[in-house]
Amino acid sequence: MDKPIRRLFWFFVILFVALLLQLTYVQVFDASDLKAKPTNTRAVEQEMKVERGVIVSVDGVELAVNREEGQYYLREYPQSGLTSPWLGYNSLRYGRAGIERVYNEELSGKSGLLGITGYWDELMGKTHRGADLKLTVNAALQKVAAEALGERKGAVIALDPRTGAVLAMVSYPRYDPNGLIDSSVMGAVWSEINSDPDTPLLNRAVQGRYPPGSVFKIIVAAAALETGVVTPDSHFVDTGSVTAGGFVVGNFGDSVYGEHDFTKAFASSINTTFAKVGVDLGADVLAEYAAGFGFGKDSPWPLGGSTSIFPDAGSMDKAHIAQASYGQGRVLASPLQIALSVAAVANQGRIMKPYVVAQVLDYHKKVLNETDPRVWLQPISSGTADTLRDLMVEAVANGTGTRAALSDVQVAGKTGTAEVADGGPHAWFAGFAPAKDPQVVVAVLVENAGTGGSVAAPIARQVISAALGL
Amino acid sequence: MSLRNRELVFLIPALVVTTLGFALVYTQKSAELTLTSLTYGALFLALFVIAHLGVRLLASRADCYLLPITALLSTMGLVVLYRLNEDLALKQAMWLVAGLAVFLLVLAFVRNLNMLYKYRYVIGGLGLLLLLLTAVLGREVHGARLWVNLGPIGFQPGELAKVFLMVFFAAYLVDMREVLTVSTRRVLGVPLPPFRYLAPLLIIWGLSLALMIFVKDLGASLLFFGALLALLYVATGRFFYVLVGLALFAIGAIALYFLFPHVQLRVDIWLDPWADPSNRGYQIVQSLFALAEGGLFGRGLGGGYLFLPSGRTIIPHLETDFVFSAIGEELGLVGAVGIILLYLIFTYRGFRVAVSTKDDFSRLLATGLTSIFALQAFLIIGGVIKLIPLTGITLPFVSYGGSSILANFILLALLLRASAKAREV
Repeated sequence: MDKPIRRLFWFFVILFVALLLQLTYVQVFDASDLKAKPTNTRAVEQEMKVERGVIVSVDGVELAVNREEGQYYLREYPQSGLTSPWLGYNSLRYGRAGIERVYNEELSGKSGLLGITGYWDELMGKTHRGADLKLTVNAALQKVAAEALGERKGAVIALDPRTGAVLAMVSYPRYDPNGLIDSSVMGAVWSEINSDPDTPLLNRAVQGRYPPGSVFKIIVAAAALETGVVTPDSHFVDTGSVTAGGFVVGNFGDSVYGEHDFTKAFASSINTTFAKVGVDLGADVLAEYAAGFGFGKDSPWPLGGSTSIFPDAGSMDKAHIAQASYGQGRVLASPLQIALSVAAVANQGRIMKPYVVAQVLDYHKKVLNETDPRVWLQPISSGTADTLRDLMVEAVANGTGTRAALSDVQVAGKTGTAEVADGGPHAWFAGFAPAKDPQVVVAVLVENAGTGGSVAAPIARQVISAALGL
Repeated sequence: MSLRNRELVFLIPALVVTTLGFALVYTQKSAELTLTSLTYGALFLALFVIAHLGVRLLASRADCYLLPITALLSTMGLVVLYRLNEDLALKQAMWLVAGLAVFLLVLAFVRNLNMLYKYRYVIGGLGLLLLLLTAVLGREVHGARLWVNLGPIGFQPGELAKVFLMVFFAAYLVDMREVLTVSTRRVLGVPLPPFRYLAPLLIIWGLSLALMIFVKDLGASLLFFGALLALLYVATGRFFYVLVGLALFAIGAIALYFLFPHVQLRVDIWLDPWADPSNRGYQIVQSLFALAEGGLFGRGLGGGYLFLPSGRTIIPHLETDFVFSAIGEELGLVGAVGIILLYLIFTYRGFRVAVSTKDDFSRLLATGLTSIFALQAFLIIGGVIKLIPLTGITLPFVSYGGSSILANFILLALLLRASAKAREV
């Protein structure tokens, strides 16, 4: 009778080993898949119990705070939609976006940064607090920029060219993130903002891609000056049109400028001259400089954004090159790319990597991490940057960008009026001030709104003025 | 070291677990440490030391590992219950006291297992009566009729019936052993006993099916069938019975699947809980989520996400059927494997007792009791980790439940008695 008992025991051993194997599979090998299941709300609910870090602007305005409800902390956005396109939301049902998503580790206190301060609390099982974020964005300037743009689809960016710190970033239309927190309305709000044809969830400043029009002439001019193909005094004659590869290039408003130098061509945004210069440079050089300024590269924006596009040089015939020379054809740029291109001019040829979170702080306000300014790209020499600055000063002083000019401060800039297939042209302005000691770069895009000089330049003027405290 | 001194030493880990466990849970619940954890520790110490002294006095040669393992399991259960629900933990503690009292009573009165053999029909009748009681008086909870109200106390007679019936079947098989092993004819080369001797198998089968049909208790039904099949195999040494048993099991299972929507649902959920994760598959899906959350080392006692904002447990029946999921989440794979290994050691010691016994009845009884214990642990753990379809039974000594605690302490007492008897010269 002993043999069957032994066999029976081994049978149970097999059963128990099966238990151990299945348990190991569930708890270890399949665990990450199980945690990622959409029906698994554990992680989110767990995090809702953590007092999430507060997000404040550089001028001390609270952008994201917490409201206690039962054992949960719910997010509250006191400035409602002002910063929603990039601040994002932290919703029990819809997850996260923007800074709330990218900096979730810090905000929810999961990051190793809190290891030192939070270890004891963690050991004792006390729910720790998340880290606070101090942004580079100035809430007052953000408001000025939002009001200047008003209810027009578009984007405004202000950044410090010396560091890459973003001072304001506006995208319209926006949404109120508080609507995604309150469980009684979140369903309706969510479907509304997702079905809205004007895409309020899209951050036009970094995710939007638009034909840059004449603001792209900054890059063409940079290439031409740096390679020595032109100098500011190079002599050109405009007859109102020029033919490149069978394609006829004309000037905006069918203007005819006659004899002029390159400075004038830049300031008055003469397409025919830029088409000639572009064709002289050739597709390879244009592509090289476009890449140097960041076209074709992953967006440097820490929250992710669109890659700006300059067409493949090999695929461009003369007609394409001519069109690309004034930012039409297949050239597409995000407003941030344009702002950064101008930042190169303002910062002696160097583009600093843009950033929005200045500091990560623990709840004792001790700084855990600080973003150090870093160079992203250096497309041109400081000499070329100085020359370009003078061209841009002229464009605001006597060219197309006069409505961006300020009485006390010299502003440098470039307008753009990008033709699009449907609707009016996109209005662009990109510039900086003070011209000799640049403290702020501003880029403005307004969709289907008219000329850059009449629509975008006045917005930039208000933002520059506010940024400089005038 | 003598057997009993060894037992005393092995009780120490359980004491440490209780005191530390309660201390941990307590600091989780309120910021400061009070004497409660120590009180529980002291209470526990007193209880199991009394049990130990009882064994020393009443069955001094009994196996020295079974009681400490029981102590560890019931302590773990108590700590987890205390973390889940203080009121339930207090009730469970009282059930443990009652269980240990019954344990000592059984050891005191059943001095010789032959006594049980003598009263086999009375005991078998009692077991059947208890089952009938459930079928007739039971109130249906969650699709299964398991509970009988005894005044204010809800009671699950099925738990006790399982021990009683095991005693009866062990005794019955001792009587039938001879005839069952005598083959009179061969069918296709297989030695086949006369048809009437297949009767016990058919009876077991019928009983299991009846249990399923009238009480709707899938777990108990499987448990009886499995344990009795094991017993039949050990009694006869014939693998043939296992094959016939499995065939009968297959027939019964298929019939039940098609006849009972409640069984069908269980199987369907097991096959694909993700088809309806927030409704029908909710319980098992949440159990898997809990286990995944626990990972290797767990979230720590009190660190698991076990309660909804409404205060209800996120997994329904967390205190009873799903207590293993809570352990998996809070103590991780390490803790859960620990529990499984404790059951395995218990099973090993149980079969060791069976092998060491000198008479057939003790041997079969020890085998049957051990089998039913091991199978119960396997069925419920396998159910909550989705190895097999879920059957709502308790995790022996760990789950909340008075009847289960009492029944398992009787089971333990009988095993210890068999063990002590075997070592008597």
